[in-house]
Amino acid sequence: MNDDELISGVRDAFEILDPVPPDVLAAARASIAWRTPSATLAELSHDRAGRTAAGVRGGTGRTLTFTCPGSTVEIEVAEQGRHREITGRLVPAAAAVVEVRHRDLPPDGLTSRAGPAGLFRVLRVPQGPVSLVFRLEDGTSIVTSWIRL
Amino acid sequence: MAQGDGTDELVVRAREGDGDAWARLVERHSALLWSIARSHGLNEADSGDVVQTTWLRLVERIDGLRDPAATGCWLATTARNESLRLVRRRSRDVPLVPAPRRPEPGPDRVVAARERLGRVGAALDTLPHRCRTLLRLFALAPTHAELAAALGIPVGSVAPTRARCLEALRRLVP
Repeated sequence: MNDDELISGVRDAFEILDPVPPDVLAAARASIAWRTPSATLAELSHDRAGRTAAGVRGGTGRTLTFTCPGSTVEIEVAEQGRHREITGRLVPAAAAVVEVRHRDLPPDGLTSRAGPAGLFRVLRVPQGPVSLVFRLEDGTSIVTSWIRL
Repeated sequence: MAQGDGTDELVVRAREGDGDAWARLVERHSALLWSIARSHGLNEADSGDVVQTTWLRLVERIDGLRDPAATGCWLATTARNESLRLVRRRSRDVPLVPAPRRPEPGPDRVVAARERLGRVGAALDTLPHRCRTLLRLFALAPTHAELAAALGIPVGSVAPTRARCLEALRRLVP
């Protein structure tokens, strides 16, 4: 066998043994619908794991920071059984509607509000890839990079 | 229509709203992204999250991409970084209830599939784990640059590594 035949044999073998599950492909195809060209992307700049002490409810949360020109979003994520609880703040402080984006949630299916101090809290966030959208009162939006909770 | 279907062109067309171009991008690159996650020992649920997060990360920046031709490498690098991030998190978690882990197909599935696998598949079974993983990524990465991104190694060391693993496989294929 030449190299190409070997390599194509390898490709075929793994396609049989461990193919990409159809639901993973379907989610990938559907992901283009999450485009938000008008929102400012706040990229993940910091991700520090908390320690989950055995027996302590929630433990110490994981903290993440997202930054974009002019704004920062800081969040802390605590475990709530199978769900996650997100507390955070917008810097500089601004009031906003906070929307959680997740493949299992309809648009506006899980929202919260940040008060004038920029503080917000969202309960019962499902596990998996999540992004937060902040709709500010001046009509602009900030969207965080996708992270897996 | 005489439209190119290079990854760079598909990205540009997807950005312009062409759903078919996006679907082709997903079909072309998902197997490599999945294999990158699996090669880090992640189970199916975690690997699925890595693949989805990687595509969502492309979606969030597709409008600002300056170099669409670099998308293939960028996807592989992102999948690798997300896999490493998840591996680190998993190793820190206190396993109150051990998560079901099935990083690679179990022996039953291997046996059941063997008939369809042919000589190469049977030989893969006896290769060392690292070589199996490398060959899997070699088989799926369209270019050496993407392979280097998937493995986190310099492009220059791709060819010799590939040759070594292929030679090991060739010795096992009757």
